[in-house]
Amino acid sequence: MVFEKIAALLNDYKELEGGVTPETTFESLGFDSLDRVELAMSIEEAFGITLEPDVNMRSVQDLADAVEARLSQLPKEGNA
Amino acid sequence: MRTPLCDLLGIEQPVLQGGMAWVADASLASAVSNAGGLGIVSAMNADAAWLRHEIRETRARTQKPFGVNIMLMSPYVEEVAQVVEEERVPVVTTGAGNPGKYMPAWIGADIKVIPVVPSTAMAKLVERRGAAAVIAEGGESGGHVGDLTTMVLVPQVCDAVSIPVVAAGGIADGRGVAAAFMLGAVGVQVGTRFLVADECTIHPNYKQKILEARDIDTATAGRRLGHPVRALKNPFMREFMRMEYDSAVSNEELDRFGAGALRRAAREGDMKTGTIMAGQASAMVKKEQPARDIIREMMEEAEALLRGAAKWVN
Repeated sequence: MVFEKIAALLNDYKELEGGVTPETTFESLGFDSLDRVELAMSIEEAFGITLEPDVNMRSVQDLADAVEARLSQLPKEGNA
Repeated sequence: MRTPLCDLLGIEQPVLQGGMAWVADASLASAVSNAGGLGIVSAMNADAAWLRHEIRETRARTQKPFGVNIMLMSPYVEEVAQVVEEERVPVVTTGAGNPGKYMPAWIGADIKVIPVVPSTAMAKLVERRGAAAVIAEGGESGGHVGDLTTMVLVPQVCDAVSIPVVAAGGIADGRGVAAAFMLGAVGVQVGTRFLVADECTIHPNYKQKILEARDIDTATAGRRLGHPVRALKNPFMREFMRMEYDSAVSNEELDRFGAGALRRAAREGDMKTGTIMAGQASAMVKKEQPARDIIREMMEEAEALLRGAAKWVN
């Protein structure tokens, strides 16, 4: 779920025609530091989290892991 | 002229003086603050001890608000990020990167954080992290430059955030100030013009080069290293650009060649092997004056223009 959503954002952002896998690196996509900030902001908006762009997130999987971690920290909605 | 930026920072004129490395010391910063603007001390690549001394020196010379610029690529960034907290500096501007990780501590210490941003996404990011304002700096500026120009960056950043926007890059007279306000900014940051302020302690050779510069005399270099820089073309710059285009020269070698070049120009007056960082507005800078007169002239001219701005509107 998280990976698919991120892949969709990446496909939009870089106008790729699919082909993003968990192993795809941001370097191979030609990402610079400004690109990382753009993507982080789109992810914040798409997932409702805060996310720091981090050069240590090398692959899409690294990013997906970070997003999952942030999502699990959000307060859970009650069932009332 | 009073704008919401003045109220936010406790200053009289909506003018910030750029945090230029090897230039923006206690002498210049205190002069700008005493003149009603916001003077800024550049932490550049200096260590905590140097910055602490310069902050205290600034406080000895002015009671008015001032700021410190933190260059996020500095090897001493962690310790200087601490110093501004300990010294209770009222305003911190940042450049050359994303200040996100330092902002919680600074904001916790009641520091107003005003990052320089090269894009709308960076503006949004720092707004979300609690920035008090942003400086949208176009590539006309000197030193580290982004790709976008002031003309397109400022209005887009104004659209992207609700916090006050300060325009920077290419602003050297009242026309630039008035234009910045039309683009949506509520203040300006000026760098190049303050190089020739009387209270600016750089070498007279450097000032002379600024006064003699023509419009086409600057260039950017260093894109290959990931951080392009704008400076006046001189033998150093030409050699740097030659090396940059030579794929046999490694990035490490290129970086080493540039080390110390700004200090050589700004402090030793070496115009050949030093780098004379300056903006495209250099050619518009014609007169050495006290910082007070620079601010007064710019603002008076801006006011006159803004008053007459409706002249072609029916």
